[in-house]
Amino acid sequence: MKRSAVIGLVCVAAALGFVTVGNAETCLSPFVKRLDRPEKFLYVYCVDADAKDNDFLAVVDVARGSDSYGKITYQLDLGTKGNETHHFGFTDDRTHIWGMTLFANRVFIIDVASDPAKPKVVKILEEPGAGAGFASPHTPYALPGRMMLSFLSAKDGGLPAGLAVFRNDGTMIEKLALPEDTPYGYDVAIKPDINRMVTSSFTYFNNYKNPLAKMDFKKFGNDLLVWDFRKRTVLAKLKTGGAPLECRWSLTKGTNHGFTNCALDNSLWVWEGTEDGKYSARKLCDTGKLPADLRQSPDDRYLFVSCFASDEIQQWDVSDLKNPKLHSTLKPGIQPNMMHVTGDGKRMYITNSLLSTMDRSEDFWVKLARITPEGMKLDETFHVDLTRFKTGPARGHDMLLN
Amino acid sequence: MTACILLAGFVCGSAEQAPRLHIIQAAPAFVLSDQSGKNVALADLKGKVLIVGFIFTTCNGSCPATTSRMVLLQEELKRRGQWGKDVQLLSITLDPVRDTPQKLRSYMGLYDIDARGWSFLTGPAKQVKRVIADWGMWVKKAANEQLDHPSRVFLLDRRGRIREIYNLEFFRIPWVLEDIGSLLKE
Repeated sequence: MKRSAVIGLVCVAAALGFVTVGNAETCLSPFVKRLDRPEKFLYVYCVDADAKDNDFLAVVDVARGSDSYGKITYQLDLGTKGNETHHFGFTDDRTHIWGMTLFANRVFIIDVASDPAKPKVVKILEEPGAGAGFASPHTPYALPGRMMLSFLSAKDGGLPAGLAVFRNDGTMIEKLALPEDTPYGYDVAIKPDINRMVTSSFTYFNNYKNPLAKMDFKKFGNDLLVWDFRKRTVLAKLKTGGAPLECRWSLTKGTNHGFTNCALDNSLWVWEGTEDGKYSARKLCDTGKLPADLRQSPDDRYLFVSCFASDEIQQWDVSDLKNPKLHSTLKPGIQPNMMHVTGDGKRMYITNSLLSTMDRSEDFWVKLARITPEGMKLDETFHVDLTRFKTGPARGHDMLLN
Repeated sequence: MTACILLAGFVCGSAEQAPRLHIIQAAPAFVLSDQSGKNVALADLKGKVLIVGFIFTTCNGSCPATTSRMVLLQEELKRRGQWGKDVQLLSITLDPVRDTPQKLRSYMGLYDIDARGWSFLTGPAKQVKRVIADWGMWVKKAANEQLDHPSRVFLLDRRGRIREIYNLEFFRIPWVLEDIGSLLKE
């Protein structure tokens, strides 16, 4: 064998190693550069709770052994209020975070490379989806050198939702329209090794802007779409329980299945592809009430689902897709929502705000669960209080580690 | 219970079927020196489909893997009789101080790289630094004399426009060949 071939085999394996099962941050785009060390900073995307002051990004020191461990060490003022800051995500090179907003139709591009302890806003995209006819940016998903965004609404706050691709400088370059009969949008996830993408469905701005009691629950999606990612075409439309939210592909190379949490059906669903190209979806298990977020263990064995309305996080063993087992349950406090599992699979950070129109408590916090072989255990020594800012309480939503 | 099954190949998606390889942007211009010291200007390569990668020769991270994948592409293009014709591969150094033309020639020898269709480019540090920034790339010092950098490979059409960006996860030879074929037909 030629020397170059030997070098190649070794190095391809090594270079791809950071995204293989066993030791990698889960639930980020597979195109995002992974951390090769334990986390030092936890970024929490915060909504000013009464919307009277500016929203912000809180930096929490999570470097083990640090004097300020577990403390908020910096607040990045986003300069405007009432954004409903929600999900955010890294660019492929992990130098910037794109922060989405559900009420303001705005995207914050935040530099986290120049000084990770003190991120700064470098650009704000106003009405970023206007060129494609979309509004309400929800999921930022890194592609090599670009960002794909899902939008929940059309420009008028209604339907259809859709997706668009942007250069990392914020210029839109591509629109992905949804089929006319499946116009709801939410999350997106890509599995590069099999060239497949899945999108899910929630509801649109003119509905979710209302208080929970006034939302029309008939106007939520119950579709998953399976796409040929390279061709940008839809291969299959799958029906699920109401409001399939997060899309999580199996992390194992070559597998052709993934999971979603159906918020209005109190269940987890699995989608599965076969060698002849067919796809199907079926209910995997019932969960607690209003499963709002879904995360994976790096070894591809467990799913973590936050049950917002029953105040619990469930850990499901899905190593046997025919026989999922509830492995452990954690009661971290009221209305747990977003989670973030570390690359070693041993820690999980938790926040407890869903939407300002849906939260039922203003006791906002960030907590930490230790993930042991026996299950999740709350680390009682870690508690970041999000109620005592000078501006009052803040709803912490999505989190990222750096 | 199976809720819905549809056959693969049932294309119901985008109402607007735009070209798959969208125009991402015009590739930033440059003039650099190749492994033999000869000037190479991007503008002079118009008319060819280009694959442009960024590496440094002492890298022990993703660069050897990227180069190895590009070697597989070289071999397949040769097998198809397309080598040295309408397709050109370029590798731009991220470390111009250490990557002299001589070093680049040695590196090419290590990988059996055929200079008829693949050039390695370097130049004065300031000039290379500008090219790296213009292409949205960056370099910073990491541990053990290594350099941290994004892993991206760019596909350019005959008019010098970036039409796809791969990372190692997505730089699969059949797919790259398919993309090259699409651009050659334009």
